[in-house]
This record gives sequence, structure tokens and C-alpha cells, in this order.
Amino acid sequence: MKTFRTVSLTFVCLVLGIIIAWQYSSVKTNQVLAQYEKEDVNQLIDELLMEKENNENLKARLQELQREVDAFKNNERGDKQYLEELQQAVLNARIMAGLETVKGEGLVITIKSGGLIPVEDRHIEELINELKASDVQAISVNDERIVAMSEIRNAGDYIMINARQLVPPYTIKAIGDADKMESSLKLLAGVLDKFEYYDFEVEIKRDKNVIIPAVRDIPIDMLTPVDQ
Amino acid sequence: MNKGHRGMMFLIFLLFGILVSVQFRSIVQSDSKETITIKELAAELEFERAEKARLQEELNNLEAEREQLLKNIGEKLNNNEIGRLMEKRNFEFFRAGLTPVKGKGIVIIMEDAPEIGELRIDEYIIHDRDINEILDELKANGAQAISVNGERVVTDTKPVCAGPTIIVNNNRYPPPYVIKAIGDPDILYEAINTMPTVAFMRLVGIRIDVSKEDEIRIDRYHLYESLNDVFKDLEVVNSEDF
Repeated sequence: MKTFRTVSLTFVCLVLGIIIAWQYSSVKTNQVLAQYEKEDVNQLIDELLMEKENNENLKARLQELQREVDAFKNNERGDKQYLEELQQAVLNARIMAGLETVKGEGLVITIKSGGLIPVEDRHIEELINELKASDVQAISVNDERIVAMSEIRNAGDYIMINARQLVPPYTIKAIGDADKMESSLKLLAGVLDKFEYYDFEVEIKRDKNVIIPAVRDIPIDMLTPVDQ
Repeated sequence: MNKGHRGMMFLIFLLFGILVSVQFRSIVQSDSKETITIKELAAELEFERAEKARLQEELNNLEAEREQLLKNIGEKLNNNEIGRLMEKRNFEFFRAGLTPVKGKGIVIIMEDAPEIGELRIDEYIIHDRDINEILDELKANGAQAISVNGERVVTDTKPVCAGPTIIVNNNRYPPPYVIKAIGDPDILYEAINTMPTVAFMRLVGIRIDVSKEDEIRIDRYHLYESLNDVFKDLEVVNSEDF
């Protein structure tokens, strides 16, 4: 009688123990799995949004190009139309390269060290990358236009951009959607939060007429154009 | 009575245990709805990618058609002003990165460390800041054209890392990361090989091969969006006449 009780209790406890252990491990692996799946879903959604945006842009570009081609085909206004199209193409390429001084609505951001640490290249770069992510259309730092081959580097207490030494305070001008740029800078734990943490003195002003000067030069002496 | 009671208790507990277990498993399994979502998303992504390839081809054809039209017009009209503008256009496209180019330079091939050592896992992976730093070094040392995994670096370009891949000009590429730069090969080679960042990355086993090349070809920037949209808020100040 007593033996039976002990044996059966032991047996029940053993079975329960095994079930719990099994249960625990299966829940745990399932949680890990679910986490993976969640990450995958987020990544997939990001990727999908990116490709959708790419396709929207492509469609807009196709329309633009189609208009251009049609204009060349149905030469309605004669030589004058060709001239205008060509002039526009030249101007667009020059804007893209940063060879034109441009004006537009945007932000003027001033950054100065608060004494804790100096403002360095990586801080400026972080700010510029954030602006690029918000579809900025033109940027300059202390009136040095940021173009494709612009470097942003520390050189002692200065920052070098386009081989020019810049001294603080740094004034970053950006033309683009001011709301979008400002809100992405002010994101929680974003660039401005970080700058506050570094004790930088930051001032952001909106301006209807931000003027960003052209780059001085784009060296190409080592490049040879290739036919497509 | 007592004996029967105990036996029943035993059975009840056993059943209870099995029930709880079955219950739990079925709850966890109902989560697999997510698997379906993933499949749907993946299918949609495949569709968008195919669409992108189709649109890009259409665009390339249209660009080729435009070039041909322009050429014909230039020849047919034999108008001096148009000829001069055509030349100007080719030159400005070349400077803007809209023309493929070749020249001397270096090629850098980078890949994450094959195995993880004692440091944080983070240290064995290539980050966007590493790539940005290398690009800055190349630019500071006179590189005149750069591409990352075939994507021409233009004003807008900012390499972003997303997990084990990299996004350049809105396109995703897996490792190895290949950076090509046209410029003085000796200066560029020396500059990259003496970077502290590169030394540290090599120390933990990240592969960074740098080689000098006599002829590097770098593709043009593919303009896959409307220029009028891209620069919609810009107004040109005092443009010179051309």
C-alpha cells in the first residue's frame, strides 16, 4: 500500500516533470522561431517598400523620357525645340553634378561644440546622411557644395571638404522638403538627440531662399569616357 | 475506495498534463499564419523585382532611342549651334557621372570575417561606416570616379548596410563588396592600406584585398527617376550661357 503510493507519486511527478521540461523547451524554440519570422517580415516589408518606390520612380522617369523622345520625333517647332531640349539636358546634368548655384526652400543648420567634444567629420557626415535619406536636393557645409567626390574629413581641429579647411561653427545648408528633413533630424534618438548628448550648440532655421553655391571644380583628367 | 481514488487521481493528472501540453502546442502552432504572410510578401517582392527589371529594360531602350534620334538630328541639321550643344551635353553628362568611364586606379574587395573570435560579433562584420570611411579616403586622395558593387557613386549616394547586405543607390547587394576607384593607383593603394580602420578590420579577419589596375571601367549612374522630380525645389541662380 505504502509502496504503491510512493511509486505512483514518483511516477506522476516524473511524467509531469518531463512534460514541463518538454513544454518549456518547445515554447522556447518556438519563441526564437517567431522572432526570426518577425525579423524576416520586417525586412521583407522594407525591401518591398524600397522596390515599390524604385518602380514608381522608374515609371516617372519613363514618362519624362518618352516626352523627350516624342518631342524629338514630332519635330513641331523645328530647330528651336531641339535647342531647348538640349539646353535643358545640359542644365540638368550641371545641376546634378553640382556645377550650378541653386536657390530654394530648405534648412540652415548651425553646429558648434559646447566644449565637451569638438564637432568632427563623422558628426557632419551623420547629419548629411540623414538629410540625404530625406531626399535633400542640394547640400553645402560652410558654403562648400557637397558633390559626388566631396570628402568630409578631420584635419586637426578643422574639417576638410573639397580640399578646403573649414572652421567651426559649421553651417549646413540644405534645399529640399523642410518638414521632412526637420522631422527626420528630430527623430527620437536621432541625430539631434545625439548632438544634445555631446553638448553641441545646434540651431535650425527654415529659410525660403537658401542659396547653395556651385562646386568650384570637378576634376576629370584621369577619366576617359567610354561609349555605352 | 482509497486505492481506486488514488488510481483515478493518477489518471486525472496524467490526462491533465497531456491536455495542457496539447493545448500549448496548438497555440504555438497557430502562429504559423506568419509563415503565410512571409510567403505572400516574398511573392509580391518577386513581382516588384520582375517589374523593375522590365521597366529598366524599357528605359534603357528608350534612352538608346533618344541617343540615336539626337545623333540623327545633329547630322541632318548640320546646325553649328546644335553641334556645339551636343558636345556640351556629352561633356556635362560625363562630368555628372552619366557616362561610363575608364582609367587607372584600384579595386578593393571586402568580405566579412569567416569566423567569429572572442570579440563582439559586431567587430567581424563590415559596417556602412567602414565603407563610408574608405570612400572618404578615396575621395580625399583624388579619386575621380568610384563605384560600389557596380553602382556609380554620385552626390546622392550613401551606402547603407542592412544586416548582411548593403544598399547602394536603392539597390541591395550581398558581399563581397567591390569598390572600384579611378585615380592615381599608387596614392590610392597607399592611402587605403595605411588606414587604421583597414588595419583593424584585417586584424579580426575581415578580408580587404586591394589591387592596382591599369584599366578600370566604371559604369554610368543609371538615372532611374525623373530629374524634374529630383530637383523640383531648385531654382538655378545666374547660370552662365551655354
